[in-house]
Amino acid sequence: MPRIPLGDWVNDTVDWLLDHVSWLFDFLKTVFTGTYDGIDAVLQAPQPLLLAGIFAVIAFWLRGTLAGLLTFAGFAFIDSLELWEDAMTTLSLVLVATIIALVIAVPVGIWAARSNRVSGLVRPVLDFMQTLPAMIYLIPAILFFGTGASAGIVATLIFALAPGVRMTELGIRQVDKELVEAAEAFGTSPRDTLLRVQLPLALPTVMAGVNQVIMLGLSMAAIAGMVGTGGLGGDVNEAIGQLNVGLGSEAGVAIVILAIYLDRMTSALGTQVSPLGRRAAAKARTTQGLRIWSYRPRPQIAVIGVVVLALVAGGMGIFGGTSGEATAVAGSKDVGQGKKISIGYVPWDDGVASTFLWKEILEERGYQVDAKQFDAGPLYTSLASGNADFMTGAWLPTTHEQYWKKYGDKLDDLGAWYDKTSLELSVPSYMKDINSLADLKGKASQFGGNITGIESSAGEMALLKSKVLKAYGLDKEYKVVDSSTPAMLAELKRAYAQKDPIVVTLWSPHWAYNDYDLKKLKDPKGAWGSGDGIHTVARKGFAEENPVVGQWLKGFKLDEKQLTGLEAEINKAGKGKQQDAVRTWLKQHPGLVDKLAPVQKAAAETKRPVNVAWFPWDEDIAVTYLWKNVLEKRGYRLNLKQMDVGPVYTGLASGDLDLNFDAWLPYAQKNYWDKSKDRLADLGTWYEPTSLEVAVPSYVKGVKSYEDLKGKASQFDGKIIGIEPGTGEMNLLKNKVLPGYGLDKEYDVVDGSTPAMLAELKRAYAKKQPVAVVLWSPHWAYSQYGLTKLKDDKKLFGEGNTIRTIANEKFPSQYPQLTKWIKGFHMSEKELGTLESEINSYGQGHEEQAVAAWLKEHPEMVGRMTPS
Amino acid sequence: MSSRLEAEQLYKVFGRRPGEAVERLREGADREGLRAEGTTAAVIDASFTVEPGQIFVVMGLSGSGKSTLLRMLNGLLEPTAGHVRFDGQDLTALSDRELRAVRAKKISMVFQHFALFPHRSVLENAAYGLAVQGVAKAERIERATEALELCGLKGWEKSWPDELSGGMQQRVGLARALATDADLLLMDESFSALDPLIRRDMQDQLLQLQQTLKKTIVFITHDLNEAMRLGDRIAVMRDGRIVQIGSAEDILVRPADDYVASFTKDVDRSRVLTASAVMDTDVRGDEADCGCASDCETATPDTPFTELCAMSARSTHPVAVLDEHRKLVGVVPQQRLLGFLGDAEVAHA
Repeated sequence: MPRIPLGDWVNDTVDWLLDHVSWLFDFLKTVFTGTYDGIDAVLQAPQPLLLAGIFAVIAFWLRGTLAGLLTFAGFAFIDSLELWEDAMTTLSLVLVATIIALVIAVPVGIWAARSNRVSGLVRPVLDFMQTLPAMIYLIPAILFFGTGASAGIVATLIFALAPGVRMTELGIRQVDKELVEAAEAFGTSPRDTLLRVQLPLALPTVMAGVNQVIMLGLSMAAIAGMVGTGGLGGDVNEAIGQLNVGLGSEAGVAIVILAIYLDRMTSALGTQVSPLGRRAAAKARTTQGLRIWSYRPRPQIAVIGVVVLALVAGGMGIFGGTSGEATAVAGSKDVGQGKKISIGYVPWDDGVASTFLWKEILEERGYQVDAKQFDAGPLYTSLASGNADFMTGAWLPTTHEQYWKKYGDKLDDLGAWYDKTSLELSVPSYMKDINSLADLKGKASQFGGNITGIESSAGEMALLKSKVLKAYGLDKEYKVVDSSTPAMLAELKRAYAQKDPIVVTLWSPHWAYNDYDLKKLKDPKGAWGSGDGIHTVARKGFAEENPVVGQWLKGFKLDEKQLTGLEAEINKAGKGKQQDAVRTWLKQHPGLVDKLAPVQKAAAETKRPVNVAWFPWDEDIAVTYLWKNVLEKRGYRLNLKQMDVGPVYTGLASGDLDLNFDAWLPYAQKNYWDKSKDRLADLGTWYEPTSLEVAVPSYVKGVKSYEDLKGKASQFDGKIIGIEPGTGEMNLLKNKVLPGYGLDKEYDVVDGSTPAMLAELKRAYAKKQPVAVVLWSPHWAYSQYGLTKLKDDKKLFGEGNTIRTIANEKFPSQYPQLTKWIKGFHMSEKELGTLESEINSYGQGHEEQAVAAWLKEHPEMVGRMTPS
Repeated sequence: MSSRLEAEQLYKVFGRRPGEAVERLREGADREGLRAEGTTAAVIDASFTVEPGQIFVVMGLSGSGKSTLLRMLNGLLEPTAGHVRFDGQDLTALSDRELRAVRAKKISMVFQHFALFPHRSVLENAAYGLAVQGVAKAERIERATEALELCGLKGWEKSWPDELSGGMQQRVGLARALATDADLLLMDESFSALDPLIRRDMQDQLLQLQQTLKKTIVFITHDLNEAMRLGDRIAVMRDGRIVQIGSAEDILVRPADDYVASFTKDVDRSRVLTASAVMDTDVRGDEADCGCASDCETATPDTPFTELCAMSARSTHPVAVLDEHRKLVGVVPQQRLLGFLGDAEVAHA
């Protein structure tokens, strides 16, 4: 039988999809996260008890008094467990997945009900989706959608879609054939037959499907916690990882409350929306008579109740919202400027301790830090795909070897911060005569022939099975039981309490050695190899993008006393309070933060890296990378940061940034400049003249100036494709140019982004459709497409800007040499144009090579820019 | 063309290559042979015409193809071969959309299991056809209410179908069909699911309505008694073919073959037969020729069998049957009456 390489094919397919269809996944991700963010924002906004009240009113309306009271009690309980935010996250996730599932499931179900062929085709696909173990697509979902909500939504969707399709199909097929025939006999069109007869009669079944979709979605949402969706699933995942039964059951109960609520509400909604159900319910009520527990208000009253509560909730959200959230970080220590950093961790104690240590340190340094728990595999995947920034719990080279092999080329090892780990088998100390691995021989019967293992995917397990047992001739005698770390620890706890013999797979450092009296079995033959170091591993490029943090992480070291002390503190504080524990511990270790994350002081010009912020605009990319190349030849170090205009000006003003080469002054960025000009220095113009304009393709005849646009709105669909809203050019266009030419009634300026505008231009240009875009000169689009810059006869866009270099006010004194060079710098249109197109042709990510190539053709440039 | 409805050599074959099967049937292949190959000939070479105002009953056992035949008449099923002409218009040549328009306005249907929409009230059900036609709401309600009243359901408009008895439900079905003012009513075993007593009521009501409304009706049934009661003309189907078309008496007195004859054995002849069917026509001449002018009981050709029996009992003479000109057209001796009541064969002899 030849081996069919199905796995390889799947791998190839996944790679191909990643390479070629990532736009589709990006699009889906945008849709999913957009919907999710929207719903989540709505659910998170109101005060918990108010929202609980809204839920209760809905239950009151749909099911009656008792249901309303129980609902309020249930949700208040969730709030008291401090799981409210997580519960709402999960609820949003489930709602989004359900909505999307229904959008797909109902039409597919209808289609399947009408065509046996489609039905036959769809059924195996549904079987596949429903039974394929979730792990199999959960982890790849990260590859396509990154960690977080979208991956979770996709996994939930795959799992929960099937009943939606099945029940819709069943519901429609169940409708009495004679009724459908009757409809047809009276001349009903197929569409009306569907809408007026089949769907209304199928509705109870379809609603049962909706109910199933939600229930499955909820159960999946818990599993999806593994891919960092957060919410209750994240809590469950975290609790299980730490063998914290208490937290686990709290999250579990919260999920159950959500489930029961959603189940009862959707089934009640089912009877409410279907005409038959309404009648049955009404009949039941009349026979039952009026009772207070089943009293239900009329819909109007319920709606009014919900609206009132929602308004109150909205009001509270506005007035009581953000106070006291972000604590201000002292100026000089605010290195991060609110920059977001995401740390991933595996719930091993060393990982938890170091992660929360860094979370605290980085937050003190002004970063916004997000710590997410993963399994090892997903964590490496999300680091490799750039969804998380770094982890501090990489056990290398042995334990995480397989992950490193797979993803190592997409990761940067920032070095080991702890290097005395070991892997071992351990027995309780009451096992008197077993002290080394060799002692295990011949004693299998004592242990039932079992060695309690951990996850079969762990490197330690592979090593144990393939090497260690063989080295001591134990492989025949003992069976290694694949399990999980929590299960192993639970088994250890059980055996220890009863003083049963047990041998477990363990490692150091581990808190089990504190909690239990255990013996690490000696390894005289060295079969376990030398111990792993605990490394900090970052996604590729993180350290370059965040040189300061990179430097800190590279210098990170903890000794055993520090680590175990911190772990003990965290264990003492209990789960959910890790960061408080870290703060307490840091108080006991004054000065450690400054040691681990030193704030740079001003030094000689070339010693201190120059922080250059750049906008993702072509001329800025060109000039910034040009300066980077040239200055590095002169011994400077440049940290490049891509940022938006606003943050750049604030960053420059505060001194966290040093330079920006792309200041369009005096007009385009006037408002930013005016706000901070006291703390900024203008290092002069290096390019002129520039202009702002609206451009149309040259195939659009008869449009040469803004006046020509008048009355032609229909041609352009009434739209001018804009760039980022709030930029000077957009404001100028909306507030001055369009009104000035009387075009403001006729045209809408579409807020978007520069890439979106360029994409739209490209699309329209390819189809020769009329389009008007917001553009500026210099821009490479003018060399790529035949475009007409519209004439601004009234000069409403103002005089042309010049492109200048701006810096923090102290820059000239800190960098006198550099200041002199920059002031003398100038570029011609031809030089800039050729450099931009060179960079364009090399493609994104290869800017440095492009600049190097361009410099070879312009050898005089280095000397001109930095005369010695 | 004066016929309201004309079926011309209709075939309906289910299964693979139906066209080929029709050719073979035309060449004389039999139904069993085709069935062995997996194709089912449901209707074979059915031709008939229905005149305006007539009740045309198609009778046959289950599986004889009568329901399939009915569904070809309004295009719910497309004939494999042949034509259906309705008021001279060939329905088989119409597009789906045109066909739907015909069904909405001119042909309506009453179903065996009523087929009322459970999610609509009685009034909404009755108004359904009008809603499909796009009639304005006020008019819709008015006409549906009228139709319900006609069918004896005044006051039940706001009820729901499942609150009504079977007979009442079928009245709603009938009202729904009548409300559209369609010229042609197709009734598919419409009374079969009802209790015998209620079935009789419904039959009576249908006949009564028919007297004033004069619709053209094609009625499907497996019950010969019902066929005889309702049908102006009756088509008997067997194994997909129409084996005989004729009046109730034709079927009863002159069955086309043994199958039809065996079918009619159990029929309550006294209800169906009239003097014209049982009289002995050998005796001809004036009323005076009888020679017993004063004593004779006289009847017309339409006098029902039961009345003849009563007359015969009052006199020893045969009953004389006179036409509208009081010409003697036949006599009915007592033994002949008894013969018809007993065994049909004796009567023929």
